[in-house]
Amino acid sequence: MSAPILTGHGLKKYFPTKGGVIRAVDDVDFEMEKGEVLGVVGESGSGKTTLGNMIMGIYPPTSGQIAFSGKALPTRAKDRPVELRRDIQMVFQNPASSLNPRRSVRQALEVPLRVGGSKESVKERIDELLKLVDLPVEYADRFPEELGGGEKQLVAIARALATNPSIVVLDEPTSALDVSIQAKIINVLMRLKDKLELSYVFITHNLSLMRNVSDRVMIMYLGKVREVAATDEFFRNPTHPYTRMLLSSIPVVTEAEEAVKPQKTQSIGEIAGALNLPPGCSFHPRCSYVMDVCKKVDPPLLEIAPGHWCDCHLYPKEYRKEPTT
Amino acid sequence: MPLLEVKDLRVEYRVYEGMLKVLNRVSISLEKGEKVGIIGESACGKTTTVKTVMRLLASNAKIAGGEVRYSGEDVLAMSKKKLSDLRRRNMSMIFQDPSAALNPVFTIRQQLYDIIKYSSDTRLSKQETHEKAITYLKQAALPEPDRILDSYPFQLSGGMKQRVNIAMALVSANELLIADEPGTSLDVTIEDQIMRLLKQIVEEKRISVILITHALGTVKNFVDRIYVMYAGTIVEEGPTKEVFNNPQHPYTQMLIKAVPKLTGGGVPEGILGQVPSYLTPPSGCRFITRCPYKMEVCAQVPQMYATGGNQRAACFLFDEAHRPK
Repeated sequence: MSAPILTGHGLKKYFPTKGGVIRAVDDVDFEMEKGEVLGVVGESGSGKTTLGNMIMGIYPPTSGQIAFSGKALPTRAKDRPVELRRDIQMVFQNPASSLNPRRSVRQALEVPLRVGGSKESVKERIDELLKLVDLPVEYADRFPEELGGGEKQLVAIARALATNPSIVVLDEPTSALDVSIQAKIINVLMRLKDKLELSYVFITHNLSLMRNVSDRVMIMYLGKVREVAATDEFFRNPTHPYTRMLLSSIPVVTEAEEAVKPQKTQSIGEIAGALNLPPGCSFHPRCSYVMDVCKKVDPPLLEIAPGHWCDCHLYPKEYRKEPTT
Repeated sequence: MPLLEVKDLRVEYRVYEGMLKVLNRVSISLEKGEKVGIIGESACGKTTTVKTVMRLLASNAKIAGGEVRYSGEDVLAMSKKKLSDLRRRNMSMIFQDPSAALNPVFTIRQQLYDIIKYSSDTRLSKQETHEKAITYLKQAALPEPDRILDSYPFQLSGGMKQRVNIAMALVSANELLIADEPGTSLDVTIEDQIMRLLKQIVEEKRISVILITHALGTVKNFVDRIYVMYAGTIVEEGPTKEVFNNPQHPYTQMLIKAVPKLTGGGVPEGILGQVPSYLTPPSGCRFITRCPYKMEVCAQVPQMYATGGNQRAACFLFDEAHRPK
């Protein structure tokens, strides 16, 4: 395996508030290979967007480090050299709000091109970018309100690609869109990944989508990584009780999918408030396998099979037992 | 006699640019105790249809034709008094966004008491009102109902707010409950809980349900029968299992195919193009602009053809005269 293109080590992001400290991301390690799609999955409040924002340098981590191609990244985007900023780009969830309604597609795409780029090639480059995302070149002179939701997101993708990045952080790129449009966007993204040799940090709450796009899945819950595994292994052998709950909650369309879902685990309880995290494992109030140790000690992330990491007191196996309910 | 019958309903909205001809000859019917689903993408007229049933349409809406009958009575011609009685005792609605459905400046107690008093035929004492409120909150599986009563909406999580909305709807929904995307804005584990709860309640009380959603998996486990809407028209109807296992209309087929599957297999192709403008919708089949099977005859309006079993689809492919060889 080649050296990872992006790594995070001991990443923490604490937000001090009047009510106390919110630990949005709490000691997260991750690694991403070149050309990989790393799926970051979790419910609202799990810290997945905060993680994406730290990779982008939108705000610096409270502690910990991010390294790009083996070299430490300055934590704030403004401290990063232009070349580095070009290398890591982002696509946001809602294309209606990430595009300026008063700027045409051309104006939106010009901004990243003008930064350090040569002026004469801008027009050709815009045409090229639009073609890249399957939009007609005439769209350059349209305004966001003249575009459909899917088309707007394609413009946002074109804008992210304008600087020839090697990593794109995709923060729920299709969750604001209908499924028929989602399929189109995802297909464009996957085609571009191969063509331009991109690596994606793909943030989403949709595990069905993750199954089909990512190489590795990382499950987050209340700021912590709960399980990481290669996608095939992950769906064949979902291990963490939270993962199993998440999988069993997904509404699916076919009988074959129904068979993939863990049958024993049903969703109970709600995600705890970020201000008063439960002691020990933060998932224990919702866990049907809960043991005494879970209420006191936060389990470490252990490699339970090659490349398959999980932090749960059920593993190693000697602690394993049947569910209490 | 069906509990609810909508026949050839046409609804238009007046906007600056002209008339948006949204609903075009929509017919649905619902027996007592039956659960039906309306599925389709955004802006296909699902919500407009049920809002017409509840007589909640915005002031710029115009009912251009058709009828709505509730237990045989004409809802569209009903007096204010009668309509209010209907909403008090017979039917109610749950909305998509649980936060927007609750008034932020009143406690749950004030809001729930109001509804209970309004829907009761006799004057209730404080004690009676309180007892009823507690009963409804308990039915919606809310822990500590007394604490909930004294809370403002912002003090409750999204899932709890939606449970409060369910409790409020149960006060009046003795016969018919309309649920408009009740789980869409919630996390998947919470949505799962809400949908299971809702199903249990309506089956216990034999309440008829119209469930609107764009999440195909959600509707599949909930309803007996499905209507598929596209661009303001019903394109297919049938028993849930048959529609999912053997979709007939090209739109239904493509829609089900476009959902990423938990079993993998890559991201399918979406449906190219988008929903036509309602200012100048196609005069014939409204799916003509996106349909891979379009024929000359599709410039006319298709009727609902039987396609085998109990399924019907509005597509000329099922007309003997036009069936392709």
